[in-house]
Amino acid sequence: MNGKDHALVVESTERLLDVLRDRLDLKGVKEGCGTGDCGTCTVIMDGQLVNSCLVLAVQARDKRITTIEGVGTREKLHPVQKALMKYNAAQCGFCTPAMVLAGKNLLDHNPTPSRAEIKEAISGVLCRCTGYYKIIDAIHDAAKEIAGVKS
Amino acid sequence: MSVRNLVDLSGLSELRYVKREDGEIKIGALTTIADLEKQVDNSAWGKFLNDAITKFGSPNIRSLATVGGNICAASSSEDLIPVFLALDAKVKTLGKNGTREIPLQEFLAAKRKTALHADEILAEVSFPEPSARAACSFQKLGMRNILIIALVSVAVFLETDESRSKIVQARVALNRFKSKIPQRVESVEKELVGQTLSEWTIKSAVERLGEELALTSDYRASAEYRTEAVKVLLRRALVACQQKILGK
Repeated sequence: MNGKDHALVVESTERLLDVLRDRLDLKGVKEGCGTGDCGTCTVIMDGQLVNSCLVLAVQARDKRITTIEGVGTREKLHPVQKALMKYNAAQCGFCTPAMVLAGKNLLDHNPTPSRAEIKEAISGVLCRCTGYYKIIDAIHDAAKEIAGVKS
Repeated sequence: MSVRNLVDLSGLSELRYVKREDGEIKIGALTTIADLEKQVDNSAWGKFLNDAITKFGSPNIRSLATVGGNICAASSSEDLIPVFLALDAKVKTLGKNGTREIPLQEFLAAKRKTALHADEILAEVSFPEPSARAACSFQKLGMRNILIIALVSVAVFLETDESRSKIVQARVALNRFKSKIPQRVESVEKELVGQTLSEWTIKSAVERLGEELALTSDYRASAEYRTEAVKVLLRRALVACQQKILGK
């Protein structure tokens, strides 16, 4: 869990979402619908985006999980976080943790995504406020920044 | 959620595979859609399933959803069921008394009910490996472009002769029937077999589909709307198959 091992006893019917929010106090993971339709509960599990409301806690055993709390720090924001700020790409902010994770996971696997690929990567997270364009612009910009730093 | 005994199958990695064997493509029931997506561009079977895979849910959903789960949900809206029907698939179950092989259409008993016995799991779905002159297209309509439940969808499988223009085999499968069981539409298939894959043939197949189609009316959409919409989807699927067969 964000680089740290945890050993927990859980109910067989507890969801990963419940464990993250209630037992580990990671409130950046949201429950927007509980049915896998909105994506605000998104976490990265073994390198893939998943809806944590659809994962039973027991299914997450031995898996590497990243939540928004594990991305960037106040002193050193992740390029996607910085870009979302620069582009004013958050309004209510409810989808933003999931958008950051979707952007980060994309850039971890594909450092030079097209706009179409960015759209696809965030397509599992619904945003009611921004209309998505600034989020896409931001992730595109973050990719350039990461590439710039490396070259 | 309240259950007496819950057994989580998701760790059974031996049911997560795609293989070509004995002239068939065999897919383990616990193969996720994301697993398929990873292989779609560099496999013999990829082009027959790529429509359905890329339209499935969202990336988040594809990480978790499994082929077996989609089939066993059997609620008449699943994406893979019409596709596998069009590919003439069968399923293999695994239980205390061994394995059974059942044609997919027979496996679908009623809404949310399959032919699985209480002590069985779905182990595999398989279909004959299509020829190089065949194509499969899947078209789906929903309220958005992605993360949609199908209002109606159609899967078309076409195989042509050496000229790549005469249809020798056609399978057309829809969901959202009144009966709640996805099925092939034989009248449309008959309209296609033996014909040249042309605008005229596509038009007459689409007209034929509109006749005697008993789709469901529910809070998502009326039967009339679904019937009109699925005719458009059929056209798109036939055109897509044509383009795939001609290598476009």
